[in-house]
Amino acid sequence: MIDADGLRSFEERVAQAFNDGKIRAPVHLYSGNEEVMIKMFQDISSRDWVLCSWRSHYQALLKGVPAEEVFSEIIAGRSISLCFPNYRMFSSAIVGGILPIATGIALAIKRERRVERVHCFLGDMTAESGIAHECVKYSTNHDLPIRFIIEDNGQSVCTETFPTWGMLASSFENCSNSKIVYYQYENTYPHAGAGVRVQF
Amino acid sequence: MEWLAGHDDTIFLGQAVAVPGTAMSNTLTGIAQEKLMELPVAEEMQMGMSLGLALAGQVPISIYPRFNFLLLAMNQLVNHLDRIGQISNFGYSAKVIIRTSIGSERPLHPQHQHVGDFTEAFRLMLGNIQVLRVEEPEDIFPAYRQAYERKDGQSTLIVEYGDYLSEK
Repeated sequence: MIDADGLRSFEERVAQAFNDGKIRAPVHLYSGNEEVMIKMFQDISSRDWVLCSWRSHYQALLKGVPAEEVFSEIIAGRSISLCFPNYRMFSSAIVGGILPIATGIALAIKRERRVERVHCFLGDMTAESGIAHECVKYSTNHDLPIRFIIEDNGQSVCTETFPTWGMLASSFENCSNSKIVYYQYENTYPHAGAGVRVQF
Repeated sequence: MEWLAGHDDTIFLGQAVAVPGTAMSNTLTGIAQEKLMELPVAEEMQMGMSLGLALAGQVPISIYPRFNFLLLAMNQLVNHLDRIGQISNFGYSAKVIIRTSIGSERPLHPQHQHVGDFTEAFRLMLGNIQVLRVEEPEDIFPAYRQAYERKDGQSTLIVEYGDYLSEK
């Protein structure tokens, strides 16, 4: 499995390519959560499904997709919805879009008594949306083989999540639901791009 | 519907599929309960779940008793199911059968939020999902058979006339 330095250097390579104008599409980069992501993937098997948002380079690498394959997809402009069927990875660039899809996959797994699990990554703003609450409620009450991994960096693009909702913290912080994994991190990259802001 | 239910990989889901409630419910009464998944009223979640079920190898028949209700699932329908090929560089495909109807007007007229026919609008928005409006009862079975047997991995939206469910 790729280590923390490998993850960081991959994003740096993407950042450089983006700032050099070699990627003519948005990229959304991670930083500051390498250790927690590596730990997360120690509990994810190759037969499991991983669903992500527009920020998903780390998940692809940790799921085992070769770095050059991930990089070529990014260069081709598909960073925003990286999908690798052979690795059971699916991403979407629509807020909350993956949640019911992940729930449906988990439902199929349970109905067919398969041993796979689903790991669904979402941000703090997505976690406060109506579709998130529906999917978490349904998955919890039907005990589907899924976990929702909430990655809280406090921001949605440039909007602060909790003040806009009139909240002090995430609905899922200190949550006792076994289907929920919650962690906070600070991302040194902007929402999109790599420092040189390109409005799109 | 019984023909669809005879295949191991199909599952029917939606509101009033395992219990009575709509004119469409009557068309599912002969189907084994384990094939019927009653869902809460959560139209967008239902459509996303249908896509997830399809990605995992099942063929969901996702039921929205009236076309107006299907509008609430547009995000999943347009942004995900219709574009599943493009967003995955044609790595994923998903065969979902979506069943809806132009709301019945007889014997009770449910007024203007329940009788919409958005067939042409959906055809304009959906580039990869085939939209079939079945004009006569005898067209219904061939439409569903075609939707299930298609080999291109694409989804089908089948629009029925609600009044036919109780009249023809």
